[in-house]
Amino acid sequence: MTTQVNITDVAKKATVSQNTVIETTHLCREFGQGDTLVKALTDANITIERGEFTAIIGPSGSGKSTLLQLIGGLDNPSSGDVFLDNKNINHMTGNELSDFRRDHIGFIFQAYNLIPVLSAQENIEYIMLLQGVPATERNKRVDNLMHTLGLEGLGDRRPAELSGGQQQRVAVARAMVSKPSIILADEPTANLDSKTGADLLDMMKELNEKQNMTFVFSTHDPKIMERAKRIISLVDGCIVADERRS
Amino acid sequence: MLIVKLAFRNILRNRRRSLLTLLSMGGGFFLLCLTLSMTEGSYSNIINIFTQDHTGHVQIHKENYLERPSLYKTINHADEIISQLEQQPLVLGVAPRIYSPSLAYGKNKTFPAQVVGIDPEREAKTTHLENKVNEGQYLTRQLANKTNKDAYFPAMIGFSLAKNLQLTIGDELVLISQGIDGSIANDIFNVVAIVGDAGSYERMNVYISLTAMRTFLSIAGDSSKVHELALILSSQSQARKFAASTQSALKNESLSVDPWQVVESSFYKSMQADKKGSYISMGIIIFIVSIGVLNTILMGTMERTREFGVLKAIGTRPLAVFTLIMLESFVLAIISCLIGLVLALPVCFWLASVGISMPEPIDMGGIIFDTMLGEVSWFVVLLPSVVVISSTLIVSFIPALRAAKISPLKALQAV
Repeated sequence: MTTQVNITDVAKKATVSQNTVIETTHLCREFGQGDTLVKALTDANITIERGEFTAIIGPSGSGKSTLLQLIGGLDNPSSGDVFLDNKNINHMTGNELSDFRRDHIGFIFQAYNLIPVLSAQENIEYIMLLQGVPATERNKRVDNLMHTLGLEGLGDRRPAELSGGQQQRVAVARAMVSKPSIILADEPTANLDSKTGADLLDMMKELNEKQNMTFVFSTHDPKIMERAKRIISLVDGCIVADERRS
Repeated sequence: MLIVKLAFRNILRNRRRSLLTLLSMGGGFFLLCLTLSMTEGSYSNIINIFTQDHTGHVQIHKENYLERPSLYKTINHADEIISQLEQQPLVLGVAPRIYSPSLAYGKNKTFPAQVVGIDPEREAKTTHLENKVNEGQYLTRQLANKTNKDAYFPAMIGFSLAKNLQLTIGDELVLISQGIDGSIANDIFNVVAIVGDAGSYERMNVYISLTAMRTFLSIAGDSSKVHELALILSSQSQARKFAASTQSALKNESLSVDPWQVVESSFYKSMQADKKGSYISMGIIIFIVSIGVLNTILMGTMERTREFGVLKAIGTRPLAVFTLIMLESFVLAIISCLIGLVLALPVCFWLASVGISMPEPIDMGGIIFDTMLGEVSWFVVLLPSVVVISSTLIVSFIPALRAAKISPLKALQAV
């Protein structure tokens, strides 16, 4: 069984483009069983290229967050595979997956989810400390990102001392600082007022364009949809549309 | 370093709760330390009084003498052994003794009595016999071997025997026993002192000098034959070790060197049983403290479930999350031990030096205890530390494991 899987992985690697960051094949996620079985995601096949700014949209309960969680290795699929940087993340052990998330995926959450006992600077630095990045390099990257995201002078503040917008910018910096292959953002503007949300999106769009960073959003927010280069629509766990914009 | 920083910040995050936990654990440490100090101190005190009363810390006999005492089971050339033992820096005193169960007659009554031949000066260095003289004069070397005008050797008799025989100082005491040559040993002695009281060990004893005893029992030949050598050491805790080393040093398999724990085995066993009882009460203290700690750690981890989800989602390994929680508990335990130590040490030192006077002195087999003393030792300090730290780590293990194993998604969805 393992041999078969490995052969499939190798074959898959050979066929996918060097530019492909994510590929999902027949991805399904079911919850419950028998009469209470709920199909949150059905046969999702997606390929996301490097540098894309993709929005996954759909009504509540359509499976947007589930898809994002499966791509990010936070949840296990009922069937199907997720290839991230040509690696099948469903076959990874706990530590391998932790290290993979640390090095290849940046998360931005709706509720910011910063570590409350760490300052803004320490929150941004955290992943680099796990990676063992030297102090000079860490400081350089943190300073650059804080400057880019307009967080100068806020480095010593704890999350509780920052506004929602500032906290989300720290979260963006934390997600980007380790230079991951992809940034997954689950409704990042949902808790922000429209102006702060728009400003934040503009910053992310700029980072996407300047640094060719890959962003995948799950969202209801029209502002994100306006800026997205690609929109994947989900209804009842099924992909019903995949629209690319020039 | 990152985990250490997080652990300290998490402890300081909810200061009131951390402080209450520290006080609860520190209080537990304080109580454990105090209980242990009192238990160990009281037992040390009892052991010291008990061993210095008559037993000594170590005794040497002819093999099997303790199981089946006999007039004929003597230690030969005791003088050589005594001089050898007295050179040991640990030895404070060696008391040679000869025993003979006898019949004592005085005025119109006869009572059984244990006659003990002693070296008065050595006995005074080894036990408290000299201090127990109620009336008359302790047997000094000059007095002990000097007969009176009627050629009677002096004798000290126990309080109860004196009362039963209606004897006072200056009266004549007749002792009848069996001589070592099979003859009937009988002699008249002059009462020079009355020792002990109605409850004490020597209440039915008669003490005469070794010379008088050898004459009484017709022990000829080796003039240093004795039944027992009682040793007092500078530290009772060394008794077992010293007995074992002396046993091998003597190179005489016909002699048996035993610590007080063997000589007074029934007393030692009852003391051990009593100690176990106090360990149960200490166990209850630990249990109560542990429940408090478990509550704190559980609350702390439940509240932070979402945070653990974030840590894991952004790449923190499960082991690091586990280590973080265990480290927080460990730091709390160490600080609480320090708080407990600061509170407990002055009290323990006071208990060890002054102690608590009992309103009514307790008479245990003729040994009077009027003060409960504490003890300050590494054992008294280290055992509570080990217990508090290990019980904290044990109760933290399950919450830490739970946080380490929880899926990041489930943790992120926690309210």
